[in-house]
Amino acid sequence: MSLISETSLLTARILRRWSGDAATVAQSLLFPGFFLVALNVLLGDGVKRVTGHSALYGSVPLVSLIGATSGAIIVAVGVMRERDDGLLSRFWVVPSHRASGLLSRLLAEGVRIVVITTFVLCVGLVLGFRFTQGFGQAVAWLFMPAVFGMAFSAVVMTIALYAQNALVPQATEVIAAVMFFFSTGFVPLDQFPKWLQPFAAHQPCSYVVEAMRGLSMGGPVAKPVLGTLLWSAGIAAVIAVPLTLGYRKASRRD
Amino acid sequence: MTVSAVPLSVRPAPSTPQQWWTLTTRMILPTLANGELATQIIGSIVFTVGFYLPLKNILGAVQPMSSYAQYLTPLIVLQAIFFAAVSAAFRSAMDALQGINRRFRAMPMARLTPLAARMTASMYRCVIALIVSLVCGHIIGFRFHGGPWHTAGFVVLALLIGAALALMGDLIGAATRNPEATAPLLLVPQVTLGLASVGLQPAERFPHWIQPFVRDQPLSQYLNALRALAGDTTPAAPPVTWAVIGPALAWVGASVVLFTWLHARVARRP
Repeated sequence: MSLISETSLLTARILRRWSGDAATVAQSLLFPGFFLVALNVLLGDGVKRVTGHSALYGSVPLVSLIGATSGAIIVAVGVMRERDDGLLSRFWVVPSHRASGLLSRLLAEGVRIVVITTFVLCVGLVLGFRFTQGFGQAVAWLFMPAVFGMAFSAVVMTIALYAQNALVPQATEVIAAVMFFFSTGFVPLDQFPKWLQPFAAHQPCSYVVEAMRGLSMGGPVAKPVLGTLLWSAGIAAVIAVPLTLGYRKASRRD
Repeated sequence: MTVSAVPLSVRPAPSTPQQWWTLTTRMILPTLANGELATQIIGSIVFTVGFYLPLKNILGAVQPMSSYAQYLTPLIVLQAIFFAAVSAAFRSAMDALQGINRRFRAMPMARLTPLAARMTASMYRCVIALIVSLVCGHIIGFRFHGGPWHTAGFVVLALLIGAALALMGDLIGAATRNPEATAPLLLVPQVTLGLASVGLQPAERFPHWIQPFVRDQPLSQYLNALRALAGDTTPAAPPVTWAVIGPALAWVGASVVLFTWLHARVARRP
């Protein structure tokens, strides 16, 4: 019982700090918004000419993911600062469940990503994005970026917990950029060179985009959703132990 | 007779050039060890292949020049230089946050020396960005066709743009004092201006309502000037005339004046 109440308390703390920082909220919502409009203005016609479908069914998911990952870096640098300020150590000596600190971070990331996805969706709806598959599918669509985004956040946070310099987690932006450029949310799969297509088809970002495309526009759903879940679970399995140890280490610094 | 606490013969004679050099190396040396330089190089490569490979077919067909590499490379150069400005903003925000600027002000040192040192370090990042992005461009097929003077003009203009952007980044860092927020804050102009520019496709390919913006925004003016100086095997490159180069120089000049003025205001803050 105490785990649940403490986790929700700490989650609320993180979300209050996030929503109280007007600059961070503005940029984490405005940036994806502007980006979606710019991407649609640039490639909307070209993709429609090639595929016959609106580019929005790929670009709205892509931009939601970009919002999720670029925010993850800000959050991870924030954790480093709380470590260096000694806040994590103080939480460690409070009689609370050991897991609540880390769980609340991940939960807050999930909430943050759903909020960003909702905002990007609203911009997409203005531009002409529509759900055609039903209510349940639309709800599932809304949570897809959070599934992978939380796994990505866990990776960035692990790197941050072991790093001394705030520049290190920012380097993950490069990994994120590779995933976005070579994803099927940017341009259709057949636009990539032949040798690059296997990577573009099977990397996690493309699975999320294709799952969300199926859930909104129609098309295959089971396979990309499975791919998203497998990637996320795989990353979680690899990262769980280093993340836990890193958080423990960061909390026990004097 | 007054006796100085420190004998006059032992007192160091502060020399502005030496202070400038010490502070400059303080900014530059860590970039070799902490991965900043490596990130910058890898970042330039990722942006080159990230724009070139996916967009070569879909947008390469609608641009007028001899190859998409020739068309795209000025944008890659500008993006790399923009990243250098983001690093400048990050460092400036760290210095402002950790209070070292305030300590510098208590030292026998000219007001502008720390800014001059940060700008020198920024220009070092710009030079790296320019070299890496031109190597990337060369590999995908970009070539200079305008002769040595135009090529030199390309380099000088790119570095001037870099100086203006670095001054902007430094200002934003010093004003916000928030290292976490600087990079995402600068991403908004970088990405939206980059996508809605003539960097990836000509202005006529954009929807009508946004064409005037795409044509006239500063990034497009920079791109036109750089493209003119790089030249092309076809006559599709803009000509090297004041009508093409002038707007770019005007934007650089205006932004340097504006950002320096704002910088002086921020520096006066307690």
